[in-house]
Amino acid sequence: MRGRIGWSAALIASVFALGVAGCGGDGDEAAATTEPAADGPITIGWAHDSSGQMAPFDGPALAAAKIRVDQINEQGGVDGRDLQIETCDTQNNEPARARVCATTLLEDGADIVFVTCDVDFATPVVQETISQGTLAIAPCIGTDQMGPKRFGEQGKLAFSFGNVAQDEGSAMAEFAWEQGWRSAALATNTVIVYFQNVVQAFEARFTELGGEIVARETYATGADNVDAAVSRLNAAEADVVVTSTAFGELPALVSGLRALGDETPILNSWAGDGTYWVTDNPPVTNYYAVTYASVFGDDPSDEVRELIDALTQAGAQPGTGGFLAGAGAIDGVVEAIRRADGSTEGDALASELEQFEDVETVSGNVNFSPELHSVFGREYRVIEIQQNKGKYLGAVTAKTVPEI
Amino acid sequence: MSRFRPLVELGGPALLVVGAGLMATVVSRSTQIYVLQAIVAVAMVVAIYVFVGNSGVLSFGQISFVAAGAFAAGVMTVPLVLKGAILRDLFPILRDHELGNVASLVLAAGVGGVLAALVGLPLMRLSGLAAGIATFAVLEITNNLLREWTAIGPGATTLSLVPQTTGPGQATVGVLLVIAVAYAYQRSRFGRRLRATREDPAAAQAVGISIHRQRLGAFVLSGALCGFAGGLYVHMLGSISTGQVYLELTFLTLAMLVVGGMTSLWGAVVGALSVSALDSFLAEAERGALPNGSRLVVVGALMALILVLRPSGITGGKELRL
Repeated sequence: MRGRIGWSAALIASVFALGVAGCGGDGDEAAATTEPAADGPITIGWAHDSSGQMAPFDGPALAAAKIRVDQINEQGGVDGRDLQIETCDTQNNEPARARVCATTLLEDGADIVFVTCDVDFATPVVQETISQGTLAIAPCIGTDQMGPKRFGEQGKLAFSFGNVAQDEGSAMAEFAWEQGWRSAALATNTVIVYFQNVVQAFEARFTELGGEIVARETYATGADNVDAAVSRLNAAEADVVVTSTAFGELPALVSGLRALGDETPILNSWAGDGTYWVTDNPPVTNYYAVTYASVFGDDPSDEVRELIDALTQAGAQPGTGGFLAGAGAIDGVVEAIRRADGSTEGDALASELEQFEDVETVSGNVNFSPELHSVFGREYRVIEIQQNKGKYLGAVTAKTVPEI
Repeated sequence: MSRFRPLVELGGPALLVVGAGLMATVVSRSTQIYVLQAIVAVAMVVAIYVFVGNSGVLSFGQISFVAAGAFAAGVMTVPLVLKGAILRDLFPILRDHELGNVASLVLAAGVGGVLAALVGLPLMRLSGLAAGIATFAVLEITNNLLREWTAIGPGATTLSLVPQTTGPGQATVGVLLVIAVAYAYQRSRFGRRLRATREDPAAAQAVGISIHRQRLGAFVLSGALCGFAGGLYVHMLGSISTGQVYLELTFLTLAMLVVGGMTSLWGAVVGALSVSALDSFLAEAERGALPNGSRLVVVGALMALILVLRPSGITGGKELRL
């Protein structure tokens, strides 16, 4: 009997010790964490997803932010203080590990914490960060949820430099109307708020313009029901299929329709930017998406093309235009710190950000308000994909931000 | 010696949990999250053990009761002033009321128990492979209901703003309660009857034991404890989505039970703590040298290895003895 106790106890003790040792700091380390000196570097903690579902969005944004930070530091930093980025991988945003990331970054002295580009996945990190009075910034969350609407009073400390979905959906409707498309079939991925809000905003603006919705289908990432939605969409007589989706459902939806011989134009949001997801057989055709920047070498902005060149040289060629929001978010945060006389205190920065009115960043002019902590009024690039080749088609701006 | 047996059998697991709880108070906040997760995992695994361990019937459905409890406790504790804005489609009775922490945990246990009773009535007549598949169906149904039905929860999106009340104290006390209930059950005549049906169903029936009734009782108790564990879980995380209480958690908790020893309370506690620690260690290692995904591969391999080398788990499926 004694042997059995020894067996179990030794195993528990060793495994638990191993686990705790591997999990990082102890109380002393935590106590040793202090506020950085006012003249020391400003630390941006970045909780990103390196290989999970959000990796195609987080990776380029982080890479562009690093380049922007280097450029700012070369020009003397923020009032003499350098910026530095410390990262932590949330590993596909598993909630406990994401929270560990947030606490680790904060324990290591992060002044501001950047989060992954979806509010549902980002929630554990955002809640942990703002509960400790630190500013949480998303480079490209695309809903109005990154702020008081989702996080209540503490949401004052949460901002996104992504476009608010209502604005993006409205811009998509303007584009569809300009193309002469008068009827639309909606395909909503219900897995995250951003996907849903884009399609809802499209519907609101498209019908306001006089368009007709002829079908409404839903599917969800992880629910294995996109093929059924494809079959029903194929039966719909529409000028355009409108969706907002990424992940595995994007190629499944597009190739599913094309494999059935359905060549109806498909219009997607920024979620469906890039060509990293396209299928060879059948190839992607008649496909359109609105985004921050064209990654196909033909963006109209010199500054954007230069940033893409720098990223490519650094071995981080962007897959989607979302990279630009990473650099733009750094610009915005730097401006807020300058306006707050060098303070990195959460409340002070949030108060400055809420007063942003057409603040220039590399990703365009940024507006925030006490109610809306995501960007609206941005000019979108429209990209077109034919035979798996993407190109810049033109620009579109939302004329109204519809209530949904 | 036998006079002290209950003390040892209950005291051993309890001491381990108290030790983990004390550890949670002295480590850094980031490590504390891992330790709290391990403690809450003990609650889930012990809750699963109450049915699976005592009946010998494998169930893939217990995490659906964890999910139901987690969403019930979570939805009812989101501050009322924000609930209307972020959960607009809820039934009015859910949208217009708010519960405190303890009440939400009681509700979570109730929801888990009632749900288990509803599905257990027909399913507890099954055994073997049929029971496994049927309980898996329960997991699927629950997951899809929670994911699609926005009148009872956030649907496919993440439920946020749940008060993070499961600290070291509440986690430890909550898990001790689960362990005490599980031990009281297994020492009761109901627990003994159920274990009799596990060892020899024909003999058990011959002495007048109703297999269906005994299994149903354990299933409902397990469902209630799972719901309670779900409540602790959501109050530890502060947010929850349906994906977090689905297949991966089902696999992980069953692996904990198998690795520890399926047929003892001691095994459930040892398995939950040791696999949690290993899981956390591997999660950290994945940030460095190990490729992503190694965690589940290693835990899966460990489970297979234990099944081959020590089929009764690292405790041999026996309670702690001195």
